[in-house]
Amino acid sequence: MKKKPFDFNRRSFLKATGAASAALGGAGLGLFGVQSGRDPMSYSGAENLQGATQHFNRKKYQVDSPTYEKVGETSRIDARTEVIFGRMGRLRHWNEEKGLESLDPVTRKYYEVHPEDLELDLYLRKAIFPNRRKDNAEYGDEFILAEAWSHAMGAVWPQGYNTPPAESDFPHPRYGRQTPLELQDPGKTAKLIKKMAHEFGSTLVGICKLNPDWVYRHAMPGRGFDVEAPLEVPKHWEYAIAVGTPMEWDPFYANPNYGTSHDAYAKSRIVAFRLAAFIKELGYAARAHTPGTDYDLAVPPILIDAGLGEQGRHSVVITPELGSNFRPAIVTTNIPMAVDKPIDFGVQDFCKTCKICAEQCPSGAITTGDKEVIRGYKRYQLDISKCHNFWYSNLGNIGCRLCVAVCPYSRKSNWLHKTALQVTANDPTGLTHAGLTGLQKRFYPAPNAQDYYMPSLGGKNASYRKPPWWLRTRDFIKLKGGQS
Amino acid sequence: MTFFNSGLFWFIEGVLTCLSVVGFKLWMDDRGVKLCWWKWALTVLWTGFTAFVIAFVGVNIGDGEPQAARLGALIFGVLAMVSGAVLWRLLNLNSNIGK
Repeated sequence: MKKKPFDFNRRSFLKATGAASAALGGAGLGLFGVQSGRDPMSYSGAENLQGATQHFNRKKYQVDSPTYEKVGETSRIDARTEVIFGRMGRLRHWNEEKGLESLDPVTRKYYEVHPEDLELDLYLRKAIFPNRRKDNAEYGDEFILAEAWSHAMGAVWPQGYNTPPAESDFPHPRYGRQTPLELQDPGKTAKLIKKMAHEFGSTLVGICKLNPDWVYRHAMPGRGFDVEAPLEVPKHWEYAIAVGTPMEWDPFYANPNYGTSHDAYAKSRIVAFRLAAFIKELGYAARAHTPGTDYDLAVPPILIDAGLGEQGRHSVVITPELGSNFRPAIVTTNIPMAVDKPIDFGVQDFCKTCKICAEQCPSGAITTGDKEVIRGYKRYQLDISKCHNFWYSNLGNIGCRLCVAVCPYSRKSNWLHKTALQVTANDPTGLTHAGLTGLQKRFYPAPNAQDYYMPSLGGKNASYRKPPWWLRTRDFIKLKGGQS
Repeated sequence: MTFFNSGLFWFIEGVLTCLSVVGFKLWMDDRGVKLCWWKWALTVLWTGFTAFVIAFVGVNIGDGEPQAARLGALIFGVLAMVSGAVLWRLLNLNSNIGK
């Protein structure tokens, strides 16, 4: 029988499939070789500096307008009173007999408008601090290792600025480069700056134009400004580079007691100061705005503008890679760079129904309600006085970080949570959000919110998860009681 | 990097999968069972789901989330077993066993 020219029988099919498979397999091996040669994990000891930590494909989720909504006339933050650290500093002059009269006019006026904040801020001094000292003597030994680790992580802390931007932001007048180097292209510069940010230790980096709305109306003390004079936005603060590093994951899940902000605070602070130094070496101006309180601006909206993430119900920015488990820093500069776009990967819809952070917040600082208009922008309200009071209402390391630990987005980047992230980011109906929130609540249970308080305030000193083995004091130290 | 997230592991996993498919096909041939396309599709789906259950339990054990591992094993595991039994009947795999 004569064979037809195109008789594609089973045998031919298998032969063709075999040949195609061999070709594909060979090509795959070649690509595998290239990939393993480039693999960030092969940079032993410097794996996290290769930029692979920012692995989410942001391009697909870029939007022209940020996910916050401008709804009216905007105003800038007065750091003297609207930032808790500024306010608490001024409350030091409080005199019980003189009452509000003991405070300066600006703080007095603030508390007259917000009497509930005065009550909460004074409660911290009058009740929480004494209780904490007492409880710490009785129960605090559990946290000796956690506190030692936290202090050690914050031990390397670059010196902040004590001069205004006109002096601090520019290259040294004698030793620095007085004429900025000519750059080839803003796109290339942005790429270089991002690479440097990773090299300096940053996990995430994004760039945006600085919106003056985010700069404080009155500065924080200790930044080289006259805090009583309005802060004029310096002309050379044209761009903002946002960087971020994670808090160590295992203690992070053991918040509020065992985790600390100091590890990521110090890392991000070091990154920002290195980045500012690098930019100044090129002859441009740069200023680092860093943790703990060395900021001249509000950080979350800048992170949004720079495309790093979206603001969640708990007011913290959620990123695709780290969820809310990171601490940011900003560098303001005039080096010309291409900017990033904000992203929308479904957080606004998710937060509308999830509410786990609000349910888990022991102090009730996070709203379960809708967004409100705050300084001309629509966002979820956070009662910072309640939040701040809880920082001292539990034992172990100062602070809380529970809202960020329980956030479903704050999961390690294993295949399961990466898949869940892709599902939520690509579900325009929002149907999967309720399902995933339900799974989170049932599969990943948490203590009762009130159990996080220290015993004298009616709690059980609970933590969200058990501490890692290396922070369990009893396993390493012979405890005699009252050593904390 | 450990063996279980290395390229070598996935290469071996791929070889084992191929051998499993070939073995399954021969096992069915011996019993005269022929599967139409949608039965093959159901089999692949069930295998994928069962693989998900095993990996789900594993990742949660590794992640220090015992409750998620337990509930995953219980809920998804039972679902995999029940759907497996239904699929077994549907494919009529029982009829010729022992021949």
